[in-house]
Amino acid sequence: MKRLEVNTNDGNVGFQIAPMIDVVFVIMLFFMVMAGAVKVEKELNSQLPGTAETSNATDFVDEQIINIADDGAITLNDEPFDSPTSHDLPQLKATLMRLKQNADAAKAPAIVTIISEPSAKYSRTVDVLDALAVAKIDNVTFTVSEEE
Amino acid sequence: MAGGGGGDGEPEFQVAPMIDVLLTILIFFMTITSAQVLKVDKTIKLPRAPDAQKKDNQRAEAVINVRWHAETKKGEFVFNDKTYTKAEDLVPLLKNAKATGEKKIVQGANPVFRAVIRGDRDVPAVYVSQAMDSCGNAGISDISFSAVNKE
Repeated sequence: MKRLEVNTNDGNVGFQIAPMIDVVFVIMLFFMVMAGAVKVEKELNSQLPGTAETSNATDFVDEQIINIADDGAITLNDEPFDSPTSHDLPQLKATLMRLKQNADAAKAPAIVTIISEPSAKYSRTVDVLDALAVAKIDNVTFTVSEEE
Repeated sequence: MAGGGGGDGEPEFQVAPMIDVLLTILIFFMTITSAQVLKVDKTIKLPRAPDAQKKDNQRAEAVINVRWHAETKKGEFVFNDKTYTKAEDLVPLLKNAKATGEKKIVQGANPVFRAVIRGDRDVPAVYVSQAMDSCGNAGISDISFSAVNKE
């Protein structure tokens, strides 16, 4: 009976702010840490050839061809660029940026076709598409070379 | 030496506005961390493309997931939660999706219906090419490849 008397001292159990702030701080810290690691989905756009409608006659322009070999080796117009294990492709990026500048100066569209070996990894294609996105080249087509 | 405010007592620490601020920051961090969790196929490890543009979620689109089974060395296509082994099977479904999706396009959004290909990073390029062929056969020429910004 004595214990009951102690508990109901005032008859008024107040809302405790201090523990609530503790909890809110912990939750906030958790979300702040998670915010740094959050993965955001990105997109690389491409247009399939052949369905574009044009009213004017189109000029033939130089087309750059990027080949992706089975082992991940990348060649631009038969010239090898970067190592097959490099994901950042610095040489290819620099060359593509120069190409884009030249194309802009000549007021011609920069057109790039990516031809991948059928068994080459898709991530390699995305590496190349990423390099093209850095160089701001939008006219990109992707195809797989015929094996047989 | 009265610094400001007036009144007679010392300035007190106000708990109520502090809780307001804390809850606002909390909600901010909660929204940015949980925004991207929806509708992502956990079995697919998306390739990394840090320089790609942020995904436009306003557009009408059909999402094709391309899975890769490393043990059996086989890829498969997932569309609307159903699995297909051949990309050709997707063509009628994509045509349907395009017809219904184009009706839903709201004003202001990009009016072109597109296909988003979400391929596993280890899948051979030929599977992605087959998925693109199906999109082309279904009359969808605007194709986006999905990637993530970091590992």
